[in-house]
Amino acid sequence: MADLGVMALLLGLALSAYAAIGSVVGEKIGMAELVVSARRALYMTTLAVVIASGALINAFVQNDFSIRYVADHSNTLMDRAFVWVAFYAGNEGSLLYILLALALMSALSVWFAPKRLARSMPWTIAILAIIQLFYFVVLSFAANPFELLDTVPLDGRGINPLLTHTGMFSHPPMLMGGLIAITIPFAFVSGALIAGNYGDDWIDVARVSAILAWGVLGTGMLIGAWWAYTILGWGGYWAWDPIENVALMPWLVLTAFIHSIMVQKRRGMFRMWNVALLNIAFVLAQLGMFINRGGPVVSVHSFAASALGIIFLSFMIASLVFAFALFLWRMPQLKSDRAMESFVSREASFLINNFLFLSVMAVTLWGVLYPVFAEFARDISVSVSAPYFNRANGPVLLGIVVMMGIGPLLPWRKTSARSLKQWFVWPTLVGVLTIIVLVALGVQRPIAIFAFGVVAFVAASISEEWWRGTVARHRSGDNWPMAWWRLVNGNRPRHGGYIVHISILMLGLGIIGTNFYQQRTDGALALGESLVIDNYRIEYVDNGDESRPDRIAQWAEMSVYEISPEDYEQEKAFAAAQGSTGFTLKDSRLRENDKLIDQIRPWHGFYVDFNMASVRSGIRSTLVEDLYVIPRDFLADGRISLAVSINPLAWWLWASGPFFIIGTMVALWPQPAVERRPVRKRKLDDTEGEN
Amino acid sequence: MIGQRTLPTKAFAIFFIAIFFLFLLSTTNCIREEDITLEQRAHQLAGELMCPVCDGQTIDGSNAQIAVDMRLKVRELLDAGDTNAEVKDYFVDRYGQEILAAPETSGFSLLAYIVPVFIVLGGIGIALITIKNMRKSAAQVISSGGQTESSSNKPDDLSDYLAQVDRDLGKSIKPGSSESNDVSSSQPDKENS
Repeated sequence: MADLGVMALLLGLALSAYAAIGSVVGEKIGMAELVVSARRALYMTTLAVVIASGALINAFVQNDFSIRYVADHSNTLMDRAFVWVAFYAGNEGSLLYILLALALMSALSVWFAPKRLARSMPWTIAILAIIQLFYFVVLSFAANPFELLDTVPLDGRGINPLLTHTGMFSHPPMLMGGLIAITIPFAFVSGALIAGNYGDDWIDVARVSAILAWGVLGTGMLIGAWWAYTILGWGGYWAWDPIENVALMPWLVLTAFIHSIMVQKRRGMFRMWNVALLNIAFVLAQLGMFINRGGPVVSVHSFAASALGIIFLSFMIASLVFAFALFLWRMPQLKSDRAMESFVSREASFLINNFLFLSVMAVTLWGVLYPVFAEFARDISVSVSAPYFNRANGPVLLGIVVMMGIGPLLPWRKTSARSLKQWFVWPTLVGVLTIIVLVALGVQRPIAIFAFGVVAFVAASISEEWWRGTVARHRSGDNWPMAWWRLVNGNRPRHGGYIVHISILMLGLGIIGTNFYQQRTDGALALGESLVIDNYRIEYVDNGDESRPDRIAQWAEMSVYEISPEDYEQEKAFAAAQGSTGFTLKDSRLRENDKLIDQIRPWHGFYVDFNMASVRSGIRSTLVEDLYVIPRDFLADGRISLAVSINPLAWWLWASGPFFIIGTMVALWPQPAVERRPVRKRKLDDTEGEN
Repeated sequence: MIGQRTLPTKAFAIFFIAIFFLFLLSTTNCIREEDITLEQRAHQLAGELMCPVCDGQTIDGSNAQIAVDMRLKVRELLDAGDTNAEVKDYFVDRYGQEILAAPETSGFSLLAYIVPVFIVLGGIGIALITIKNMRKSAAQVISSGGQTESSSNKPDDLSDYLAQVDRDLGKSIKPGSSESNDVSSSQPDKENS
């Protein structure tokens, strides 16, 4: 199997090199056959990668521990379902996976590329082939997943225990796939620029592929957050870890792109800007690959001690230079067709939104690189983690949410004072009323209240637009749901966007709730004892052993009671005097108003070989708040040590996921052919670049 | 100028900037120490101290023994009446700057906080200047064309004018390309930036 894999990789290497050279040479000397054969070579690289991947997966299925990678990432005990996870659990396999994703996406995008891009396709193919070539070279010579061991071990080391979670079937592949998918729009736009195809022919293909990459990356990050929340046992979902940041940064730039590409599509503006955004996103994705493979910053997620850092750094710098040079070379041809008319127009608000996204990206980049910079400049070691990023990025992120309510309500070109009044009175009223109500209710934390007001403002602006559109269609005879559906269908990119906006608002609710109103307490319980926090009493009723050869694992059964504070007044006062949020009770007898509402079963495992603990938190989730119980440890005296928190509105974080996916799909769903417009021919520009 | 210009652009911009600064200000003002229980403060501090043996995790999130011990120490110091700053100093003395999850807000490390402010203000500044420049060139083209565009919402009214502009500029475009419901009007192509 190993031989087959190695040969497939070498074959792919040769094919991609041929595709790159053949495409460029064929185009230059005008030899159409060579160009066609180069394109077919690019299709064939996909086959080579599929064979190599199949060989590796097969090796896992067969427990072929003569291959180092298999021995390191699996064992005979591993559930066969996790073969797929083990495939990308380590450095070499994940690179092979990335190449697999890239090859498949390249082949599909080239296959389905619109005819009008024919002139720039050779260049697009060359760029795709060169990037594939890079991965083939790395996989063949620097990180070969088929490397053999001298002595074949009886059993493998086993899969990283943190990866044995359903989220792991989709989170890493989506994240890596999303990052590499940015290559596709980049290759198409760069190809068009090299070929001198300055018009807007590439808009649709770039927009669709960018939204796909963006959607996959976003979903991947969300699943990662959910995974962290349920399994990592640290009680959070986003730590502003360098690896998370390098996935977030290109996502932010793509978010800016998919907004401003609409301005180019509609108004022929921001052409230069859109090309620049794609270039930045691509280079940031390369930065992500570099930091993932042994970059200079410490992270929970990074692949251990990889010597690939320098190779990926070189590739990142090369792509930066290429993107920048290409941009400067073709900049004069990328002027806007039209001019901006007003500060208060949708295009202007999109431009501001773009700069806000880029600001968050740049601040995040600064935070990621600051430790390196401080070390270099002053020889001091510092850490930059969540508290820094929350403070530095929080305000701008809130600003972006504000823009989310304003931008879509502004018409293109310019806005009259009347329409401004007409459209903004209702959302502003709702936002202000929300703030007033929250203050009247005695809710604490001014910043959070303001943020809730902003969320309400945006929600009102979306519902206003849907309401008016639906009413208009209802008047013309449709029933209510049909009227709304027709409205959405009439302009899918726009209304799909609104659905995504709603998902962002839900995410916002969760972020505000968990960041500003979380309550926490720690405690250790023996069987029969209880821990009380806020209006919950958690009673430790049972436990059991679930150890296997590779782990020491225990679960604990706990009953959750809703209590009424007056029953526990004395203890509460005592705890407060000691400065504690919660308290434990030796005596778990039911008090008058106790009401059993749930059973939870936190789980704690320790993996000896990995010297690593893994937990499943016990979570009781409602729309209002999560009761979240982390089993820190089973203590020697038979007690269980717990970290308990109440995470307000956490449910909304995960509920946003389906909306995000549905909204993205609605926005991407092709419009019926009748509604498609012919793309404007830009003869003026084309004459110069003809070849 | 362009069409009907009833809009107080300046007021709008000032309003915006004011709001922006308002929440920039409000976020720097966190909850006061005496408002919350010692335990909440301990958790907060645990989130601001890195675990020395784990990569990129705070002691709040780590289950490593040293993190457990450090959490206990934090609580102990708080019980003894230390302020948050004193607790942090205690750990900085022993482990160095690196133990803090966010750089200090003084000395060289202030740079970590100043740069983001410049990035954000610079970003917004560039955006506003870009819009302004793009507007200026719009005004020039309109005035040199000697014709004020009507604010009519029907693209048909403009087709003759558009065709003329296209002839003047020596380029050919296909008119009537306004594709969908919320583009209210089409407008002459102008090749300028």
